[in-house]
Amino acid sequence: MVFEDFLALAPLLVLAVAIVIGLLVAALPGSDRMMAGLTPLALVLALASLPMAAETAPRLVTPLLLVDGYALVFSGLILVAALLVAVLSRAAFAGRPGRPPRLQEFDLLLLLAVLGALVLTGATHMISFVIGLELLSIPLLALIAYPRDEPLPLEAGLKYLVIAGVSSATLFFGLALIYAATGTMDFAAIARTPTAHPAFVVAGLVLVLVAGGFKLSLIPFHMWAPDVYQGAPAPVTAFVGTVSKAAVFALLFRLFEATGALASPAPLWSLSAIAFASMIGGNLLALLQQNVKRLLAYSSIAHFGYLMVPLLAGGTFGAEAGLAYLAGYSVTLIGALAVVGLLRPDASGREAERWSDYQGLFRRRPWLAGLFALMLLSLAGIPLTLGFIAKLYAFAAGIDGAAWLLLAGLIAGSTIGLFYYLRLALALFAPAGAVAGPADAMPADATGLTLPARGLLAALAVALVGLGLWPQPLIGLVREAGTLAATEPPALSRPDPTEARSWTE
Amino acid sequence: MTLVWLIGLLLAGGVVAWGGERFGSAWPRSIAVTVMLIALVMVLGLWSGAATGVVTPGGPWIAHVEADWIPRFGIAFHFGADGLSLVLVVLTIILGFAAVIAANIDVKERVGFFHFNLLWTLAGAVGVFTALDLFLFFVFWEAMLIPMALIIALWGHEKRRAAALKFVLFTQGSGLLLFAAILALVFAHYGDTGLWTFDYLTLLAAEGSWPGNLWILLGFVIAFAVKLPMVPLHSWLPDAHTEAPTAGSVVLAGVLLKTGGYGLIRFTAPLFPEAAQLLAPYAMALGVFGILYGAVLAYAQSDFKRLVAYSSVSHMGFVLLGVFAATLWSLQGAVIQMLAHGLSTGGLFIMAGLLQHRLGTRDMQRFGGLWAGMPRLGALTLIFAVAALGLPGLANFVGEFLVLLGTWERSVWAAAFAALGMVGAVIYALALIQRTFHGAPHGNPGVRDLDPRAVGLLAVLVLLLAGLGLAPQPVLDTTAPALEALLRLSEPAILAGEVASHGL
Amino acid sequence: MVGLLFLVPLLPFLGFLVLLVGGGRLPRRAVEAIGVGSVALSFAVAVLVAIGFAGLEGESYRQTLWRWMATGGFSADIGLWLDPLSLVMMLVVTGVGALILLYSVGFLRGEAGARRYFAAMTLFVASMLVLVLADNLLFLYLGWEGVGLCSYLLIGFWYREPANGAAARKAFLVTRIGDAALLLGLVLIVASLGTLDIPVLQDRAPEAWTAGSTLPVAAAALLLAGAVGKSAQLPLQVWLPDAMAGPSPVSALIHAATMVTAGVYLIARMHGLYALAPAVQTAVAAIGALTLLLAAISALGQSDIKRVLAWSTISQIGYMVMALGAGAWGAAIFHFMTHAFFKALLFLAAGLVILRLHEEHDIRRMGGLAMKLPVSFAGFLAGAASLAALPVVTAGAYSKDLILWQVAASTEGGLLLWLAGAIGAVLTALYIFKAVFLVFFGPMQTAPEPAPASPAMLGPIVVLAVLAVFGGGLAVPAQLAGTLPAPPLAGAPGHPPLAFALVSAALPLLGLAIAWALYVGRRGPLTGLAASRAVARAAPVAAAGFGFDALYERLFVRPWHALARTLRDDPADRPAAGLAGLSLGGYRLLRETQTGRVRWYAASLAGGMAAALALGVLS
Repeated sequence: MVFEDFLALAPLLVLAVAIVIGLLVAALPGSDRMMAGLTPLALVLALASLPMAAETAPRLVTPLLLVDGYALVFSGLILVAALLVAVLSRAAFAGRPGRPPRLQEFDLLLLLAVLGALVLTGATHMISFVIGLELLSIPLLALIAYPRDEPLPLEAGLKYLVIAGVSSATLFFGLALIYAATGTMDFAAIARTPTAHPAFVVAGLVLVLVAGGFKLSLIPFHMWAPDVYQGAPAPVTAFVGTVSKAAVFALLFRLFEATGALASPAPLWSLSAIAFASMIGGNLLALLQQNVKRLLAYSSIAHFGYLMVPLLAGGTFGAEAGLAYLAGYSVTLIGALAVVGLLRPDASGREAERWSDYQGLFRRRPWLAGLFALMLLSLAGIPLTLGFIAKLYAFAAGIDGAAWLLLAGLIAGSTIGLFYYLRLALALFAPAGAVAGPADAMPADATGLTLPARGLLAALAVALVGLGLWPQPLIGLVREAGTLAATEPPALSRPDPTEARSWTE
Repeated sequence: MTLVWLIGLLLAGGVVAWGGERFGSAWPRSIAVTVMLIALVMVLGLWSGAATGVVTPGGPWIAHVEADWIPRFGIAFHFGADGLSLVLVVLTIILGFAAVIAANIDVKERVGFFHFNLLWTLAGAVGVFTALDLFLFFVFWEAMLIPMALIIALWGHEKRRAAALKFVLFTQGSGLLLFAAILALVFAHYGDTGLWTFDYLTLLAAEGSWPGNLWILLGFVIAFAVKLPMVPLHSWLPDAHTEAPTAGSVVLAGVLLKTGGYGLIRFTAPLFPEAAQLLAPYAMALGVFGILYGAVLAYAQSDFKRLVAYSSVSHMGFVLLGVFAATLWSLQGAVIQMLAHGLSTGGLFIMAGLLQHRLGTRDMQRFGGLWAGMPRLGALTLIFAVAALGLPGLANFVGEFLVLLGTWERSVWAAAFAALGMVGAVIYALALIQRTFHGAPHGNPGVRDLDPRAVGLLAVLVLLLAGLGLAPQPVLDTTAPALEALLRLSEPAILAGEVASHGL
Repeated sequence: MVGLLFLVPLLPFLGFLVLLVGGGRLPRRAVEAIGVGSVALSFAVAVLVAIGFAGLEGESYRQTLWRWMATGGFSADIGLWLDPLSLVMMLVVTGVGALILLYSVGFLRGEAGARRYFAAMTLFVASMLVLVLADNLLFLYLGWEGVGLCSYLLIGFWYREPANGAAARKAFLVTRIGDAALLLGLVLIVASLGTLDIPVLQDRAPEAWTAGSTLPVAAAALLLAGAVGKSAQLPLQVWLPDAMAGPSPVSALIHAATMVTAGVYLIARMHGLYALAPAVQTAVAAIGALTLLLAAISALGQSDIKRVLAWSTISQIGYMVMALGAGAWGAAIFHFMTHAFFKALLFLAAGLVILRLHEEHDIRRMGGLAMKLPVSFAGFLAGAASLAALPVVTAGAYSKDLILWQVAASTEGGLLLWLAGAIGAVLTALYIFKAVFLVFFGPMQTAPEPAPASPAMLGPIVVLAVLAVFGGGLAVPAQLAGTLPAPPLAGAPGHPPLAFALVSAALPLLGLAIAWALYVGRRGPLTGLAASRAVARAAPVAAAGFGFDALYERLFVRPWHALARTLRDDPADRPAAGLAGLSLGGYRLLRETQTGRVRWYAASLAGGMAAALALGVLS
């Protein structure tokens, strides 16, 4: 492991160090305040280390991790999303009445999950795939059930545990099959090595696809999503919806690109069917949904159905489109869930998830309502928002890959999606007379938001509209990710074999 | 550059008007009126300077500005106005002005936010008429819908929420088709020339005939047909109109419907000559069917605004007929018809607003005998209704006559049935007057006549209608070069297709 | 002085504008003064122009005001064109118009809405003048539709009564059907000849089109359809009897003197086109003959005094159209002029009678008014005599006899047409003198109001009576010789020989005698015939104008209402509603899958896996 290897792994190392320090600090009194500073610092440092790692890219560090433009840009996206979630979680939990919850564990789990996600973006080997996935999933269970004194999060966490278990089993079975057939665990090698049992490889790939489908909450593996989205606290829902899904998408894209899985009909047809079902089914499920968090869950099912179009299109443009879509969607979802998390509809401290909380919100909290309306428009893909740029890429990928059926699904799905996004947006502006109810109980003062919360919301709004109007910086960054398929993965850099000695010397 | 200033002015004006509400409920209205006045001056200045147009392949361009936006896909801020766009922009500003003044008929609360939405809708429309980059065109196409939907949803009448959602679903849904079509065109062009561009002029010059041409054209045509509206896709219009507030209806009927017609003229035939030629007979048949269908349904309505809404469907049938007849006469007729329809239907909707404001309902069964109580309002409604039925001397006749003239060359039957549509127009227009103003008065309490200020505003509309009806030449001269250029671009196909369609 | 031509249509239009804009504040006297004054002034200018025109050596005088529209090779101007034909029309329109407006001042004494009335009347006169003086067919069409609109406004003047509104709408709609055909004719002419300019058309049409080919026949037919609509000829005559719902001066001006003869003017003006389409010309003659017979019989069956006159107008226009069909252009216009005088006179006199008898219209309940209303009796009698064309003493005789002779003698006419004309002449005398005897002779059934008639009403009646009697002397056909071609008489003399004149003189006297026997003497063989069963069964048919109204009701009106009712809630909306229903169904179906139980979630994951694997095996 020469120095460049360490440089390439800089972001991971920074996070690892931060976790260890976090564990040590946890023992000291007043650690909660220290952790509050440590987590964002760690994430920012990791982000700062990305350009350094970029110098050495593309570099195969140990056969497990390939640090190239694609991995780094995805890591950047994940770290930014994680940073937003961290700030959001501090602000959201601070708002809860009663004794302040101890958030050290929350931060540690968060950092661990982000570490897992980063591993996933670079994984080109089954082992790193499994390590990354488990490192991402296990902390997530605890995060979902973090407010352990409330029934809903516990139920959500338990459900996620069981279903994640089933999907991991499927994953391992699939990988085992592939290994059995090809004898190698390296993604690139799988396609190259001749095998006597091609059926095993195909079956293995399908099983991996099923596990991915669960993680990305595609129909028919989507059923856990609404309950988990509703049960988990808003920041964790944001984390599940953006970071974990982005990491799994990055991996799947790399896996399918490397192994050429989509060339053979089985994975291609099943993925297309899953994508089409998700696009239409996701939107239909959300049509008359009254609970905002469940509505966002179904909308994420639909959006990841749209995201399958770039995955199927593949190639440099597929990667670019996929990343752009994820960036757009992540910012929008975090923004929406930020409002859900920060808005205290009544004294009980519950999150604003009921439809009535948003009825006529514009009159009482104009700025929050305005931001929420903006997020909904971005989810619907209306121009002048980042969501529209995401839709541009999804449509472009569809046309580039000539996937006419999926394009039709995209159009139909978006149109259905318009209905419930705008129904909710219009409810925001409903004149006061339309609803009496709990609206008056709402503390009218806007000062309920702490400074960082307001900063977070402002940043999200600027990102959404700014990048929507002037997307060039994002597009420049995203094109970098497209370099994946263009170049062959570099040879492994090993120390000089002549100096090989047994470990005991 | 005046185009960018104009759009900027409208957008900024909207924000200022919204902010102005804090200082008092009268402020937004005065801000909006001053903004519209400045816009009017700018646009008329532009028109008078029309002679100094910049001539480029796409026809003589009066104003022209270009700057890069997303170089990755060759997308640019490319604004340009030729005779066609300019005339429609002038209509937008005039009707916007009328809408702002008519706003206080039924918009009482949150006036600032209303004017914000109104001015942003107008800015979107001006953007649509002047965008020469397909991506920019689509951005404005979709962006102008949301403020309009908000206007319908928040300040509308009883079933406003459902009407607004239906309006958005129809227009946005078909907008997605347009988006897919634009991207397909750009990708096909990229496949041919390896050059990323959304620029209208370069795509025009490309003249490539790609395999999926007809499908791409269908994407364009369906989106514009929904907006026009063409008959099978028109069912959003009556709901949107009946539920929209007066100012909303004026802008919706006067301006937004024209974006559909404009799109058909600007983008379908010139970009896809052969495919458009193939589609022309069917579109003309649908246009004629629309004229008759709209007339029958207009007569069948008992709600004042719904009747006027269906009359719009009938009038826009003429525009569709004129566009796909693709001769200079029919295109000019279509443009004049759009202008005339904007003015006359805008006037009728203001009347509807005034009536509803006074009588509390739009149901004509509860009207009747109002002439005794409101002679001035009756006289003005009569003038607008008579313009709507195409009385010579007012603007609609000039449009319809030129469309008939152009259509006759293409297909005699289409012209004959369109003329039948003009008879249908008489039936519903006079029915409107009869049910509202004639007959014995019911002694409705709210009956009081127009105040001089309202008469002044409507008199301006009447003068414009009469002016356009008796002296349409300035408008014809302005649109002639632009339309000739567009015809030349779709010319090769026309000659080739001459024999094919003439047999109809 | 001919340069003042543009003032003739402009003055009434200015009167209209003043009444429209400032009418509300003007006192009633001022409103009446503007109304009558503008038309009277227009008549004065018309006379000046006529004098100036006589001095002019050229055949016609053209005055272009401004370019209306010019696009793609077609151009139309707002321009006026004066020649003897339009001169006669102009003078009649303004002259009779001024008299009738003067009469209306008295007639509407007690009524409200004078402003609306005079505004519409001045606009009507302006539109009619535009129609008559237009130099191109498009500008003519503007006047054509303008008069249609004003006729709608004025028929529906008493708008409180829904029946009047219905009559007004019926008039506008039926004439609009003809107008649509006329517009198509214009479009055809522009498409093939490139212009609508009347002088240019007159010499370009013969060059471009060969006689009898499809284009001229189609154009002529379409123009004929327009004329039939506006002049209430068969089959579009149903609207005129109902148009009597308007005030009597309106009926006098619009539905007797001017508007209804617009069709005659159009065909006369486009005589060059009809020369190119002989088939259509014979059709014109046939329509004229049929209409005059049908209308005359229907007039006989009417009991409402104004409806008698309305059917009589249709019949007299039938004469003019028959004359045009037979090529007797000058005679037709001459009859138009005399008809304008005596028919306006009849309407004004009838208006006076109705006013005095508290809106009583039914002639069977009138009688013995000769002594009570001497002036209206004298006026009505003069008008009736001229209408019946009593020989020598009336103007009607000269014009009708000229038509009868020229129709008989013309190569395109023939004895059959003459026979129709002759029978029509007898019937005309019969029905008009039936009205005279029932209204003014016999026992008085309703007593008239004793109020003295104001001079403003009697003056016009006297003037028109003089014109109706001595108007024949104006020798209009001679002046028109220049612009309208002479009838194709194949050598026969212009005026009827003595023998023929005697026969056509006897016809009205025969009608008069029959009327006398039936309605004054009330004895003799004819009364038995009148009471016979055949006549009893025929009477309701005649009264209903041969059932055209009922026919059109079943053919057009009822299907239209049925169509409107079925399409009322917009079937085109159903697919959209269907889609919405479909997605709602989808939502409800999928919602069931969210059971909340983990086992079901795991099962769906396993099911999905199995399906994917199955897909792998199959493909």
